Amino acid sequence: MATENVTIFRTVLRIPWHILLVAGVLVTVGAAALYSASEGSWTPWAGKHAVRGAVGAAMVLVLAFVDFRILRIWAYPVYLLSIVVLIVLLGIGGGGGVARWIHIGGFTFQPSEPTKIAVLLALARYFDSQPLDKMRSILTYLPPLVMIAVPFILVVEQPDLGTALALALGSLTLLFVAGLPWRYILVSFIGLVAAVPVLWSQLHPYQKTRVMTFLDPEADKLGAGYQITQSKIALGSGGLFGKGFLMGSQSQLNYLPEKQTDFVFTMIGEEFGLVGNMFILGLYLLLIGSVLGISYRVSSRFAQLTCIGVAMMLFLYVFVNVAMVTGLLPVVGAPLPLISYGGTAMLTVFLGLGVVASAVVHDRPAVE
Amino acid sequence: MSKKVKQKENRRVTGRRTFLLGSGMLLATSFLSGRLYQLQVAQNNRYKRLSDRNQFDRRVVPPRRGRLVDRQARLLAGNAESYLLHITPLYAGDVDKSLAQLASLIELNDEVIGRVREQARKGPSFRPILIRESLTQRELSTLAIRSAYLPGVTFEKSLRRIYPQGALTGHVTGYVSPLTSQEIEENSSLRDLPDLATGKIGIEYALEPKLRGTPGGERVEVNARGRPIRVFRDFEPESGGDVKLALDIGLQQYVTEILRRGQSEPVDMATAAVQRAIAGNRELKLHLASGENMLLRDRIGNITPPESGAVVVMDIRNGEILSMVSSPTYDPNVFTERLLTRDWRRLNEHPRDPLLNRVTAGLYAPGSTFKMVVALAALEAGIINERTSFFCKGSMELGNATFHCWLEDGHGTMNVVRALERSCDVFFYEVALKTGIQRIKAMANKLGLGYVTGIDIPGEKQGIIPHHDWKLATHGVVWTPGETVVASIGQGYVLVTPLQLAVMTARLASGTKAITPSLQTVDGVPEFAELDISPEALRIVHKGMFEVTNGSLGTARAHNLPSRLGGMAGKTGTVQVKRITKEQREAGITKNIERPWKERDHALFVGYAPIKDPRYAVAVVVEHGGSGSSMAAPIAKAALKRALETEGKA
Repeated sequence: MATENVTIFRTVLRIPWHILLVAGVLVTVGAAALYSASEGSWTPWAGKHAVRGAVGAAMVLVLAFVDFRILRIWAYPVYLLSIVVLIVLLGIGGGGGVARWIHIGGFTFQPSEPTKIAVLLALARYFDSQPLDKMRSILTYLPPLVMIAVPFILVVEQPDLGTALALALGSLTLLFVAGLPWRYILVSFIGLVAAVPVLWSQLHPYQKTRVMTFLDPEADKLGAGYQITQSKIALGSGGLFGKGFLMGSQSQLNYLPEKQTDFVFTMIGEEFGLVGNMFILGLYLLLIGSVLGISYRVSSRFAQLTCIGVAMMLFLYVFVNVAMVTGLLPVVGAPLPLISYGGTAMLTVFLGLGVVASAVVHDRPAVE
Repeated sequence: MSKKVKQKENRRVTGRRTFLLGSGMLLATSFLSGRLYQLQVAQNNRYKRLSDRNQFDRRVVPPRRGRLVDRQARLLAGNAESYLLHITPLYAGDVDKSLAQLASLIELNDEVIGRVREQARKGPSFRPILIRESLTQRELSTLAIRSAYLPGVTFEKSLRRIYPQGALTGHVTGYVSPLTSQEIEENSSLRDLPDLATGKIGIEYALEPKLRGTPGGERVEVNARGRPIRVFRDFEPESGGDVKLALDIGLQQYVTEILRRGQSEPVDMATAAVQRAIAGNRELKLHLASGENMLLRDRIGNITPPESGAVVVMDIRNGEILSMVSSPTYDPNVFTERLLTRDWRRLNEHPRDPLLNRVTAGLYAPGSTFKMVVALAALEAGIINERTSFFCKGSMELGNATFHCWLEDGHGTMNVVRALERSCDVFFYEVALKTGIQRIKAMANKLGLGYVTGIDIPGEKQGIIPHHDWKLATHGVVWTPGETVVASIGQGYVLVTPLQLAVMTARLASGTKAITPSLQTVDGVPEFAELDISPEALRIVHKGMFEVTNGSLGTARAHNLPSRLGGMAGKTGTVQVKRITKEQREAGITKNIERPWKERDHALFVGYAPIKDPRYAVAVVVEHGGSGSSMAAPIAKAALKRALETEGKA
């Protein structure tokens, strides 16, 4: 009994509370932004968002009590399960439709998001179990490429290029940190550039439109370029300190589309200005930095790689979203984690943070 | 050991790479921060402006147009609240669909739908297109309920010009109608007021600058779907000035009625006989199609449309126009909105040109009403005096030509007073030949003929008072004495407007003042120029005009005013439009009423009352009315009687 109590107490102490704190602040900021997005109302978004945040935080705590070694054991099965789910999803949504969502009891759920966690757990598990002296061999990196390619193709087929690219980029980062020799990195980079024309021809018309629109948003001010143009106007008109809470005319008058999801950062920028935006970027850097910091402290390679993967995933979310709303990237439909309304992305982030918590709590110095 | 080294090595590689990764993230984040700085600080002003433009729809607020009222402050032209329906293609998305939806809710004809489509196709998508004006309350509520399902469709309150007196004052008020592209071209500031209505004719045009007012400005906060949220008035529009007209609407109505009736009785339109007459008469149908609601039965039993012509009643003291009737007329209300092709066609098909303001732009030979001019010119020049007489044997020879008097058997010996009383032509032929056209022309000009009167109605005609140089300049040949003879009885080249006749009569009656007409009320007694005509000459002419209505043989002796009203003086005029042809004479058709309307003589009368200290002058022209004494004189008498009786009462 006593030992158990001590264990729980030690676990609680070891939980990375600062990460939870920063995540909590971000969720709170999100709830406030969503409150403003609905013109000063807790419905339909802000209230739900806060509740989901609380549920997410609870999930992190639960995961913190799950032994990290169990996660290691379950890494492959979970990966396989998520692949199966993706395949089933394609089967259901087949026939030309978009197959991104699963509807379960009134909730809609986008499996491609948590797939990111599954892939990075599987990759971490893979590299963890490789012979130590094989890390400079190209052969070591071929199976991971396949492990990434399968879900990537499945998500592209949904079709959801944005998520697929984020998944691929996040996972490839693990190859990089695992020690992929520079010469291969260089070669694959050149290969990628050469492949751009081929990839372009494979894009759906609406995806091409997005890219073209991104390249010249002014050409189609009222069509696809409308979002980018209006987002830039909203951000730009916010200035240094913004127009004030609930005072963003672009958002309040509905010029800004998707202000509760993808363009929430824009709305914050309009109402709180550059200061508000920098504050949020700062919070994310703090969160990502903390997770990266943990990757240095944990002793197991599995934990280390997982933490880096989670940090990268977080970073990609933020970067893609902010670059998109500021007109640096095409509109790909990327949420701002923990702030944007939308359950799946938030769940994925909390899942990632839970994995990190578990890694910290159950870390044991390597056996000498 | 080796494993441990390897492990350490791997960890070091991963650590290094993680550091690189983290640095990359920092770099990328600073890059984003730079972008944010660029948008939010460096280009803040630009985006602020864009946001402002998004948020606010800057609009020019049209001013309230000044009202027109009659001398008793009864409304002649006012503004009624009206709801305009607009569609903005940008917010509507599918304009065709929206129009179809609207057409199922309110009245929209194909003409309108076609026009809106055309405008939507041509114009920029953010510009609202006017669909309908003056929505009814029912239509408004029908649309308001469904407004959420009609994106891009907006209604706004505006003021629509209304003319409560309608056709009765149509020729006075004129009308406003939507801006034309030509007006915008001439005055680019009107570009911001696409829905402004401007005066196109009548007082509305003449007093446009005073009536229009100054537009205000407002900003309308609109959301992304074009729905107005709030309105900020930046500066208030300034209403146009109200204008009080000298017109007496009661008199106007009365005069209109008696002119239109002439000497005939209105018929009951519902009788079978009348309906049969209409069915077989295209002209009658055209009259009825353009809104005519009265038909007459003339002396020989024919169903005819109301009389056409003009009447002017003028205050001699100050030039105020109390009544100004031009028949047929039109309802100015049809012009205030987009004119329907149907209405326009009917106005144009009307056989008697209802759009012509006969008072100011109708040109008529003055006939015998011109004889006062000849008499005055001769008397002043000393060519004749009160006792000078000529013998009228019914005609006068000049060279090879013979000029007839209207009285075939002649008037016998005539002096100027008798010649005016009985309207002897030969007397004036003789006098005119001695006086010469130049003196006659000068006197006509003194009395206001040959010049525009300057009344506040655009398109006024100046008429023609012919003379030597005029003939040479316009016809390239010299003036002949025969033409002086014809001019002496107000025929030939002489052309005047009814308004000029009224001015002439007012000046004659006043004797000292060169009175000019005014449609607006006049404060006090205006400073008119001196008329400068010998009082003795005027006395003699006044006597002649007195005898016209009072003399035992006066041409209008049957239509004098009762003495309690001070009596009246005047002059008849009967103007031959077409000679009676030989065939007609042989067929026994010599009476006007038996001839086709178009060939009948014009009937004229000018007069003033009371005789002592004259107050009102009147001029009457009844187109193809027959004779001045039987058709025009009674109208003039009735108008003067009414004006004197209601003076200070109405």
